[in-house]
Amino acid sequence: MRHAYLICYDIATPKRLRIVHKTLKGFGDPLQFSVFRCELTKLELHDLRERLAGVLHDDEDRVMIANLGPINGRGDESIEFWGAPLSLAPDRGPTIV
Amino acid sequence: MAAETESAVPSSDPPVGAGDAQPDLLPVRMLNEFAYCPRLGTLMWADGEWAPSLDTRQGLFTHRRVDKGDRRAVPESDAPPEEPLHARSVSLSAPGEGLTAKLDLLELDGPVATPVDYKKGKAPDLPEGAYEPERVQLCAQGLILRENGYRCDEGVLYFAGSRRRVSIPFDDALVERTRELAAAFRLAAANDRLPPPLKDSPKCPRCSLVGICLPDETNLLSAEAADEHTGGALHRKPRKLLPALSEALPLYVQQQGAFVGKSGDRLTVKLEGKKLTDARLLDVSQICLFGNVMLSAPAISELARRGTPICHFSYGGWLNAITTGLAHKNIALRIRQFEVAADPAASLGIARGIVAGKVRNQRTLLRRQLKERDKGDRNHPALTALDDYRQRAEHTTEAGSLLGLEGMAAKTYFAEFFGLLPPWSRGDTNGRNRRPPTDPANAVLSFLYSLLTKELHVAVQSVGFDPMLGVFHRPRYGRPSLALDLAEEFRPLVADSATLMLFNNGELSEESFLSRAGAVALTDAGRRSVIAAFERRLAQEVTHPIFGYRIVYRRVLEVQARLLARAVTGEIEHYPAFTTR
Ligand code: SF4
Repeated sequence: MRHAYLICYDIATPKRLRIVHKTLKGFGDPLQFSVFRCELTKLELHDLRERLAGVLHDDEDRVMIANLGPINGRGDESIEFWGAPLSLAPDRGPTIV
Repeated sequence: MAAETESAVPSSDPPVGAGDAQPDLLPVRMLNEFAYCPRLGTLMWADGEWAPSLDTRQGLFTHRRVDKGDRRAVPESDAPPEEPLHARSVSLSAPGEGLTAKLDLLELDGPVATPVDYKKGKAPDLPEGAYEPERVQLCAQGLILRENGYRCDEGVLYFAGSRRRVSIPFDDALVERTRELAAAFRLAAANDRLPPPLKDSPKCPRCSLVGICLPDETNLLSAEAADEHTGGALHRKPRKLLPALSEALPLYVQQQGAFVGKSGDRLTVKLEGKKLTDARLLDVSQICLFGNVMLSAPAISELARRGTPICHFSYGGWLNAITTGLAHKNIALRIRQFEVAADPAASLGIARGIVAGKVRNQRTLLRRQLKERDKGDRNHPALTALDDYRQRAEHTTEAGSLLGLEGMAAKTYFAEFFGLLPPWSRGDTNGRNRRPPTDPANAVLSFLYSLLTKELHVAVQSVGFDPMLGVFHRPRYGRPSLALDLAEEFRPLVADSATLMLFNNGELSEESFLSRAGAVALTDAGRRSVIAAFERRLAQEVTHPIFGYRIVYRRVLEVQARLLARAVTGEIEHYPAFTTR
C-alpha cells in the first residue's frame, strides 16, 4: 500500500540541486519549489533514499521526509494550500491518451 | 563529490549469482535462501525467479555502503570502523566444495582469514548468535577460504541495526550442516519438481517470492487432490498473502502521431512538441501503442530493463507484437509446457477445465441477465443447454469433440447474448462475426478480446511460458495460443460483461462508430471508452471461488497463469479454471 510523503530539501550547490530535483521528479510531483509530494510503497521509498544517499552531502545539504499516511486516507487531506500548488493530486487510474 | 545519478530503480536486478557463467557452482547467498526455505532457494537458483523486496533491497543498500566506504552517515546503517588489513567485495570460488561467493569484507591476518558479512537488521537474541541461514552462509564462505589456502576458523556477522559484530565459530557441526544443505540444494535444483511450500509458515508473509510461490494456494489444491483419494476433510482456507491490488497500471497511447519519450524516470507523451501527459515509470505496468505512435529508443531500453512490456496494436486494435526484455529464465517450465502440449491426454485434461470453466461463466452471465429481464425464468432452454454442454465438456475424451462442444455452447450463448444489447448495435446477423466486424457490438467484442489476449499474453510470459504454444488452441503462425487458451474463461467475465455495460449504460452510441464498406470500427473516442471500461473491469474486486479472499481481476489473471504453471509441472493435479457464481 502506498503512502503519501512530503519531501523538502535545501541543497548547497546548483549541480546537486538539479540532480535532486530530477531524481524526485521520478518519484512524485512538485508542490512548491523544493517541496514534493510522492506516493510510494516502502520499497519505492527505500529506492528513493538510496538514490538520494548517492547524491547528498550531509554536511551541506538537508532533506526532510514526512509521512502523510496512506493515500486515499489521511494522506489526501492533510495538506492545506494557499495559492495554486505547482501540481495537482495525481490521477491514480490507468493513463489513456 | 556528488555521484552521478545512478540509473533508475533496478527493480529487475537479478539475484547475485543467478545466471553465472559457472552454473554448477552454488552461490552462498542462494544457500542462505535455501536454508530459510528449500522452495525459495530452488525458485531463485534453479528457476531464476526474482522479485525485489524491502529486505533484499535494504540488504543490498548495506552492502553497497560497505562497497563505498563510510563517507556519509546513512539513515539506516553504518559501516564499522575499518580494520587494518582488509579487502572489500571479494569474489572467490571453491570448485572442490562447489561453492562461490562474493564476500562483503575479508579480514586478513597472516595466514588467518575472517569473512565478514553485513546484515541490515539487529543481532538476534540467540545462543548461536544468529539464525541458521546466516550462519550457514558465512560458514560456506569459510569453506571457500579454506580451499583457497587460508586458515579460517570463524567468521563475523556485522549487524548494522545494532552495530554489533557477532563471531560465528566454524565448528564441525556447522561445517557438516553447511555441506549437508549444499548437497540437498543440488538435489532439489536437479529435480523436476520444486520442493513443496512450507505449511502455514510465518516465514511466508515475509518472503519476497510469496506471489510467485503461492504457498497456501498450492498446498490447498494439492491437498484437495489428495483428499479425493483419502476422503479426508477439506484443508483450511489460504491466508491472504497477495497484495489485493496492483500499484502500477497500463499506459495506453492511441493518439495518432503521438511520441512517447523518457525524461528522467518519467515517460512523457507529446503531440507535435506539446506535452499531452506524463507518468512516473513507477506507475506504468505496461504500455500499449495503437497505430502510428512513436516510442524513443531510451524509453524502450528502460522499459525492457524494468521488465515492463510494450504492446503494439494496429490502429484497428489488432494485437501485432509485444516487446519485452530478455526472456524469462524458467527453462524447466517451458520444457514441461512442450511435453504437455505434445501429450494429447495431458493437453486435453487442461483444455477440458478451461472450456468447462468458460461455459460455466457464459451460463452465469446469461442467468443473471435473463433473471433481470424475464423476472426469473430459471428453466430457460439456453441455460439448460449450456449446462449440458459443460458437463459433456468435462468428460469428453477427445480434443475434436471438445472443440465442437465449445462451438455449440458459443452459438447458444451468443444467440441470447446479442438479444441483451440495444438493437442498433447488433446488425442483421445477430451473432458473432469478425475480421472485419460488421456491426458495433462485434467491433467492441473483437477489440475487448484483443485487449484480454494482450493481458494474458503478458501474464503467461511473465510466469515463464512460451505464449505461442497452447493446449486447446493449436499452434498457428503468429497466434499466441496459450494466451488465447487462458483468455477463454475470462471472455464472459471481463469482455462480454464490459460490452453489456458499455452499450446498456450509454457509454457508447452510434457516434462512437465509423462504417466503411460494410466494416464497422470504433472512433478514437469510442475506443477510449472501451479501454476505460476494460480497465475498470480489471480493477474490480471479486471473491476468489476457491481461495475465498477478495482480489481484483487483474490479479486473478496472474494467479491463474501461475496455477496453470503448477498444473503443467504436475505440482497440482488439475488446472482449476476461474468461475463465478
Ligand atoms: S512463500 Fe513460503 S513456502 Fe513459498 S518460497 Fe517463500 S517461504 Fe518458501
